[in-house]
Amino acid sequence: MKRLTYLTCSLIVACMVAAMVGWSMAAGNFLVPVIAIPLGIIVVLACRAQVDTVIADEREKRIRSKAALRTLEVVVIGGAIAAIILYSYVVSIPLAPIITGKLFINGDGTQSMTIAEYKPGSVPGPATLVRSTTIKDLGAMNETEAVAYCTYVREGFSENESRGLAGTTIGCSLVAMLAIFGVFYLYYNRKY
Amino acid sequence: MKNRIKVLRAERNMTQEQLAELAGVTRNTIISMEKDKFCPSLKLGYRIAHVFGVGIDDVFTYEEDKDGPFADDE
Repeated sequence: MKRLTYLTCSLIVACMVAAMVGWSMAAGNFLVPVIAIPLGIIVVLACRAQVDTVIADEREKRIRSKAALRTLEVVVIGGAIAAIILYSYVVSIPLAPIITGKLFINGDGTQSMTIAEYKPGSVPGPATLVRSTTIKDLGAMNETEAVAYCTYVREGFSENESRGLAGTTIGCSLVAMLAIFGVFYLYYNRKY
Repeated sequence: MKNRIKVLRAERNMTQEQLAELAGVTRNTIISMEKDKFCPSLKLGYRIAHVFGVGIDDVFTYEEDKDGPFADDE
């Protein structure tokens, strides 16, 4: 088998496996990827064994190792910057929405509170107001009002929290990737 | 690292493809070596010298890099 035939076979197998995995995800059948992916790998390896020409020599290996190292460097630096920026939405005060609560004493002696959300990093005012809600009688706040208040606060921070979660995920992925790199580095360091 | 692969190949009327096959590498590797872009390992160096039936010194000549003897061959 020639190299081009092997590459064509690998491409066809990859397309078939991708189609099967896609179908299984849509159909909710998770047994298909468990079978299809290892089977695809076996078929590709079997095709590779049939190739009579050189597929990868030391130049190819050196190129791959350098490309992998450069990729790791770029991903780690870029990912670290992205993770820090995204996570700062959780810990940074200027990036968080400004939520104020103003207490009023009504004519009948009861207390009401107006909660307002303003744009992040802005001076609270009518121009920067995003939304507001009023709890008419704080002393007689019912369950519905309490839930509405909690939801209001949670929704105000939800965008920042999801960004922070994305940042944390990227950060954890980078740490895991660096840890795997370190393990392989130590392994090959011992081996050679 | 300089090499005489192209000269030795021409002397033996050998194509890049033939040399690649005998040395167990791809043709691209031979092309890169002839252009002095790729420095082969000691093992491949010996293999190429063996294909030509000469010593490794007759194929490869060590030249100290401008940046020093330990400069990376990037």
